[in-house]
Amino acid sequence: MSERSLKIKGTRREDRAAYVFLLPWFIGMAVFTIGPILASLYLSFTDYTLLSPPEWIGLENFQRMLDDTRLHKSLVVTFEYVFVSVPLQLGLALALAMLLNRGVRGLAFYRSVYYLPSLLAGSVSIAILWRQIFGSEGLINQLLDLVGLQGTSWIANPDFALGTLVALNAWTFGAPMVIFLAGLRQIPTSYYEAASVDGAGPVSQFFRITLPLLTPIIFFNVVLQMIDAFQNFTQAFVVSGGLGGPVDSTLVYTLYLYDRGFGSFEMGYASALAWVLLVIIAVLTGVNFLFAKKWVFYGD
Amino acid sequence: MRIRWRLAAALVAGATLLAAAGCGDDSGGGSGDGPVELRFSWWGNNDRAETTKKVIAAFEAKNPGIKVTGDFADFNAYFDKLATEVASGRGPDVITLGGAYPREYGGRGALLDLSRVSGELKTDKIDAAALGNGKFEDKQFGVPTGVNTPVIIADPVVFEKAGVPLPDDATWTWDDFVRIATDVAKKSPKGTYGVADPTKSDTLDVYSRQRGEGLYTPDGKLGISKQTLVEWWTLTTKLRDAGASPPAATTAELATQPSPEQSLIGRGLAGMQVDWSNQIGALRKASGHPLKLLRYPGESSAQQKGMWLQASQVYTINAKSKHPKEAAKLVDFLVNTEDAGKLILTDRGIPANGDVLKAILPALNEDQKAQAEFIEAATPTMGQPLVIGPEGSTDTPNILTRLNDEVLFNRKTPAEAADEFAKQVEAAIK
Repeated sequence: MSERSLKIKGTRREDRAAYVFLLPWFIGMAVFTIGPILASLYLSFTDYTLLSPPEWIGLENFQRMLDDTRLHKSLVVTFEYVFVSVPLQLGLALALAMLLNRGVRGLAFYRSVYYLPSLLAGSVSIAILWRQIFGSEGLINQLLDLVGLQGTSWIANPDFALGTLVALNAWTFGAPMVIFLAGLRQIPTSYYEAASVDGAGPVSQFFRITLPLLTPIIFFNVVLQMIDAFQNFTQAFVVSGGLGGPVDSTLVYTLYLYDRGFGSFEMGYASALAWVLLVIIAVLTGVNFLFAKKWVFYGD
Repeated sequence: MRIRWRLAAALVAGATLLAAAGCGDDSGGGSGDGPVELRFSWWGNNDRAETTKKVIAAFEAKNPGIKVTGDFADFNAYFDKLATEVASGRGPDVITLGGAYPREYGGRGALLDLSRVSGELKTDKIDAAALGNGKFEDKQFGVPTGVNTPVIIADPVVFEKAGVPLPDDATWTWDDFVRIATDVAKKSPKGTYGVADPTKSDTLDVYSRQRGEGLYTPDGKLGISKQTLVEWWTLTTKLRDAGASPPAATTAELATQPSPEQSLIGRGLAGMQVDWSNQIGALRKASGHPLKLLRYPGESSAQQKGMWLQASQVYTINAKSKHPKEAAKLVDFLVNTEDAGKLILTDRGIPANGDVLKAILPALNEDQKAQAEFIEAATPTMGQPLVIGPEGSTDTPNILTRLNDEVLFNRKTPAEAADEFAKQVEAAIK
């Protein structure tokens, strides 16, 4: 056998092995993701109370959304949440990444420490911790008490409750930070050296070198974090005790969807809501890509 | 090499399929010679779970062929979980329900008509009024765990510290209630209130029944008038403004933590709280104070009595249970035997089976005796049986919580909230 055919055989064999290893994932995808997605598409055109079989009602669920004031409220809350928390989170991530990129000793350690919240924040335990921190007898109020101020229950005050969720999301700046850090490292130091020689200060270096060369990474993070923020559920659910309160001030979209489906047994309507969310996210992501041409700079 | 890969592929595929199949159905068990496996679900705290586990052990000892798994969560989480499980066809065999839930589930065909297991489950010794709470459309879907009544729970320690005498619950009016709550709050240290915000759907039922209305009408419509709701919220905002009840943010926070240990009175931070009579044991334990049960204000002067006796919870059987007879045996054991009664005592209300009640009386501790005596004394003055809410009405408590927050945060006037309440509840029960 020639060496060439041996090589091909080896590749095929490896391909096959790869498929075998991918198989569990494919099956999981089909059974637990694609199947339920298709089922929910069907259910979105039905009246389905969970306990009795679904009844076809055509577009009624979608028409109902037009007059659903709680849905409108939840859209406002969700957009507020996404458009405040994502820039805040990415701003923090970039600032920290720049700081760490200056050659801090023990970089690996700091990177891990700051990354940790990203791993933990989606968990129920952190959301419970958040309740403890921002509750009426929480850490924040105890600190305020020390300086003689009287706090409120931050999680149960309609003016601040959403703010605690924004803070929780901002706290998870670690994941985009690591990506920023990788991006920063790719910028050749020779650019900065040349700029210094020409007399550019740190500010103009940031705006003329760092930021433009980082735009692909920023874009990537914006898309990722926005999609993520639209789907926030666990945090809002736990912090608000599952009610999206007070006064629906933390009623993010997915929480309302859950409330309709499992609180009021309106699974058909909830499925329709899920599809509308999908469309909203798809459209916004599309808009993101459209505008990307105007500001994202791919160096080559 | 090739053979090994094929083997690996087969192994991986096989394992995956098994895992997938495993998600399908594992509740079978027991159709052959093995023991019958039952799942029994309830809501409540750890104390209730400990007690219930002992009851299950006693049941298993008497019925060697049956194995029971218990499943519990706190009140809010319980119903979310239950809806998902029942919808997926894998619900528990014996399900604890309460209030309007039996109707919600029974009306949708999820519960077993108990006449089909009357051989295993006897109901002839159960109090008729309580039994009625598990019956509708002429079918018995549930058996009451015990009898319960809405009450005001008062903390004599808080009253004493404030130097305010406990109210006379035979004669007090709603005006007295506001005055006393305000008085207690004023004379107590900061952070201790006269009463936790009393707005709950049960309270609205009492309040509106006293005016000849009721939260729902017998034909399944909203019964409470806007006028009554406006007067109610005028009263509660007065309490809030006087500092008799906590600020809006505290009330909103309390609504998200339903356990007795986290309530104001459970922490010794309120003179009074509206609740159910069977909560007294848990609340006394939480606060460490000798809490007292009081009748609602306004009962003596009202047009009509507002309070009622009802099944505190009901045991129901899943219509899809593979072992309805064994499940019925478990329910029968829970409600009709002294063995179970002596363990459960009054945790799920005063036993509705008269024989069981008699048998456990000597075993009752002070808390439980207080409950039994209160119900015994109040029974002759109880109003009409409660009209249970129609399908969809389990959403009412959440609608009320939201609108109550709006009122307490001054975002809606009582009149606006009353309009909105009628609109939203009518939409939910349509």
